[in-house]
Amino acid sequence: VFDVCQIGDARGPAPASNARFKATNVAHNGRRSARFFAALLPAERHAMRLTTSSVWAIVGGGVTLAALVAATVAPSQQTAPGAVRPGDALAVEKPLYAPPEPVVIPTDLLSKLQALPAGRLAFVKSGKTRRFAGPETMFERFRKATPAEILAYVDAMISLEDQIQFKPGRDAASIPLAVNSPRFNAWKIKRPAILDPKRQPGPIELGRYIGGYGSGFSTFANAPVALTLEDLKAGKVDVAIVGAPLDMGSGYRNAIDGPKALRVTGGAGGNDMYSMVNPNRELNIVDFGDIAIDQMSTERSVEHIRAEVAAIARTGAIPIVIGGDHSLEYPNLAAMADVHGKGKVGVVHFDSHYDAGRDRVHLIDHGQPVYRVIHEGHVRGRDYIQVGLRARSPDLETFDWMREQGMKYHTMVEVEAHGWEAVMERAVAEAKKNTDKLWISFDVDVLDPAFMPGTGTPVPGGLTMREAQPIMRRLCAENNIVGIDIVEVAPYLDTSYKTALNSNFLLNACLTGIAMRKKGLTAPHYLSPISSEHGQDNYYGAPR
Amino acid sequence: MNRLIAALFAATAAVASPAIASPAIATFPPETQAKVDALSPEKKAFVDDAAALAGFGLTPDKLAVEFAKRSAADVDAYVGALMAVVADSKFQPGSDAGEIALNPNASNFNASTVLRPAMFDKLWREPGPFSLDRYMYQKGGIPTFAHAPVAIRREDLIAGKVEVAFVGVPADFSSGWRDAKHGPALLRAMGGLVGSEVDSLVNPNVELRLADYGNLAIDYMAPERGLDHIQMMIRDIATTGAVPFIVGGDHSISFADIAGVVAAYGKGTVGLVQLDAHPEDDEEGDHRITDRQTTARLLSDGIVAGKDIVQIGLRGPAADAATLKRLRDEGVRYHTMAAVAERGWEAVSDQVIEQARAGPANVFVSFDMSVLDPSAAAGVGRPVPGGLTMREATPLVRRLCAETRVVGFELLDPAPVLDPTYQTTMAGNTIMHACLTGIAMRKKGLTQADYANALSAGGK
Repeated sequence: VFDVCQIGDARGPAPASNARFKATNVAHNGRRSARFFAALLPAERHAMRLTTSSVWAIVGGGVTLAALVAATVAPSQQTAPGAVRPGDALAVEKPLYAPPEPVVIPTDLLSKLQALPAGRLAFVKSGKTRRFAGPETMFERFRKATPAEILAYVDAMISLEDQIQFKPGRDAASIPLAVNSPRFNAWKIKRPAILDPKRQPGPIELGRYIGGYGSGFSTFANAPVALTLEDLKAGKVDVAIVGAPLDMGSGYRNAIDGPKALRVTGGAGGNDMYSMVNPNRELNIVDFGDIAIDQMSTERSVEHIRAEVAAIARTGAIPIVIGGDHSLEYPNLAAMADVHGKGKVGVVHFDSHYDAGRDRVHLIDHGQPVYRVIHEGHVRGRDYIQVGLRARSPDLETFDWMREQGMKYHTMVEVEAHGWEAVMERAVAEAKKNTDKLWISFDVDVLDPAFMPGTGTPVPGGLTMREAQPIMRRLCAENNIVGIDIVEVAPYLDTSYKTALNSNFLLNACLTGIAMRKKGLTAPHYLSPISSEHGQDNYYGAPR
Repeated sequence: MNRLIAALFAATAAVASPAIASPAIATFPPETQAKVDALSPEKKAFVDDAAALAGFGLTPDKLAVEFAKRSAADVDAYVGALMAVVADSKFQPGSDAGEIALNPNASNFNASTVLRPAMFDKLWREPGPFSLDRYMYQKGGIPTFAHAPVAIRREDLIAGKVEVAFVGVPADFSSGWRDAKHGPALLRAMGGLVGSEVDSLVNPNVELRLADYGNLAIDYMAPERGLDHIQMMIRDIATTGAVPFIVGGDHSISFADIAGVVAAYGKGTVGLVQLDAHPEDDEEGDHRITDRQTTARLLSDGIVAGKDIVQIGLRGPAADAATLKRLRDEGVRYHTMAAVAERGWEAVSDQVIEQARAGPANVFVSFDMSVLDPSAAAGVGRPVPGGLTMREATPLVRRLCAETRVVGFELLDPAPVLDPTYQTTMAGNTIMHACLTGIAMRKKGLTQADYANALSAGGK
């Protein structure tokens, strides 16, 4: 049989016909690239000898991920060997979990198991077996098995334990890129200004008519366009709305089309009847285009996003980032820490998911931004407010972790127990108390799928628009907003306009709040006295 | 003005002909030419490089307009800026990360691809494919490909002497629209993959030993990282003698699918017939593999020789002059939709079969659903109008699988969410059924050219 290891890996001298791909052929030396493409992992070879299927199936329905990870053994190596990282790199984690809970060997099995070699017996007692078989299942097996079968069973577990963990020399700690590609950075290269006609810096109006009728170019909130930081500064821009179409979510994808959908659908921009404030009139708002994305790597994308968002904020403009998947929360808040200092910004995280996943192979994905933001110290746990959680996670252990961090979570369970009004008041009060700078990370799946069918990981039982709009307006009026993101719009899942329209109305609610604050309308839950009743009599008594 | 037209003509000719290597030297009106002449030799050479300009969407004609309105200093800066883009696009050691760091401390670093030994099954069973049906003549129930029994382990394939093993590979990294991850589940749940086929009157479900081998594990956060596992698993299906029927998944898995089958049969013994709107021959990517790079990787890594590749259905912007030139130089036999328009489907079809039969003894059929017209399959990651109809694609696939020795088949890049109807998934299953039928025909000895049963086709 042909040796699979010889296919596609770091070949010796490349045959002449292979010269066309020298970009990748010479890309890397060392064992990582040597086994990168084709190499059959020794662990996998070993597993094939044992036989097949996934370890996830072992734990079955009854054992949670927490139990799985609870069975961790500290790997011997804590950093990615040889990984070249620039200053703003994602920090590699230390091992996260305590050793597993040991198992107690039942008395009736003591003598039978004493026959095991010492190392094997210690393994059984250590509790590392839990991720392969619950103690009761395992001991039931042992009761019926011969000593030789027990030994084989324990050896198989030891082998699996070894295979599952990262092992230097066997496993790649990084994914090599094609460093000889002439397009290595092309995805994020800025267009030189000299290619276009000279113009004065500042927001570019795309309108043609005096009457304000647009020219057919769709922009966020019908705002003029800014292309450079100079445009933001020259225009004294208050709010720069920027797309970041990162499309690597774990559910349905298509967040790539989120910014487009919000641009081409109405609902953002214009008068807000609740406050009778028109944000487009009060604020200098621009559409800052999209931030470049590497759609094959969240890790590469977030570094660029972090730099771009920080650059926007340094001009004095408030960045509003339209996603894109929720991984964006991490570079956005890292950028805020870069600009305002670590621990200076608080967060309200609207989401059906807690997004504090950890201990994963990839250092960032759309289920981990909250953990990573806290882990790297950009935001203190106690300054994190979460609203609308209701998905399958977190489990009890992770709720414990969140409490230990001082996080203020407001689940839909709390809404069911105490009503939305009370929960909203509590969250708004916490936001005011936490820090004097606030970021809102708004995952549209916090809304019920009835309002937001077009989102990657929808969860029923969410907020209504009549609950979400007031809290957005209030948070943005009653706090010093340093930025927001609206993420996880996946338009192809919604054949109607409503996901995009509702997202735009939520964007406008915050724009309105920012404008209200500029006008001094920061009283708790301010509503316009004119629009809130007709005033032809004294029906409600004194105005609120 | 004449010189301008000449320059435009030269540029057009350069793009239209494959002779890109020798571009015409751009000439400009005198006033502009003076600004160009003042440039440094490097910058002048850049202005004369049609391929470099094309990378910016520029031609000498367009440059003449841009230069005419700029001062000599600005022309110099303009060209300098273009050259800086080229330079800055390259990897910058020291400031760029040449690799994507993972978390080696993840406690489940390899868990998703570590296989579960049989001894950890709660209950014992004999190896071999097992049915999920409750009734003898089950309608519906738990969906499997072709209503086939389930095989979990390689031992099951061996014990059942399985001839065709369906396997889902739900990678979701299309460079177009994504959702290929839902391909396997939705094709399993859809009809069209069971029963008799009308041209041959062969029922592959009766003739062949089939199994649904479930899905393979995927790293959803990196197209590169799952491929070694896919390759190993496909190889291990193929070495049992079963033909893997791989249901994607975006096109990036194609590299691993084909490399896995080649690993089982040996280099040089497997030819590739690739039905696809896209040549997948992007060779300059910053990632080492994506859906647009699989042909380039197969060639550069020497897994399949260019002369052993037949491509059908190319169209759209990816099939540009430079790419076709490269493919031709590699010896790839490509049949674009322009060729279909020129020579007709029957002739192209016959030639594809002839070329496949003349190649290596074994054939891998790669079917990217974009080869079909969007009217036949709307739910596709990278659709391109002007593609094949079902009445063109289905007979060709059936013929390939009957008239050549097919050892692997893949159906790639469905995006079911883009099609609210049943059409795309039914089309996908119909294509797979055509190949399944062909394999059954071959088993029965019905390998003559374009076989049709007289009872059905009226004595063709």
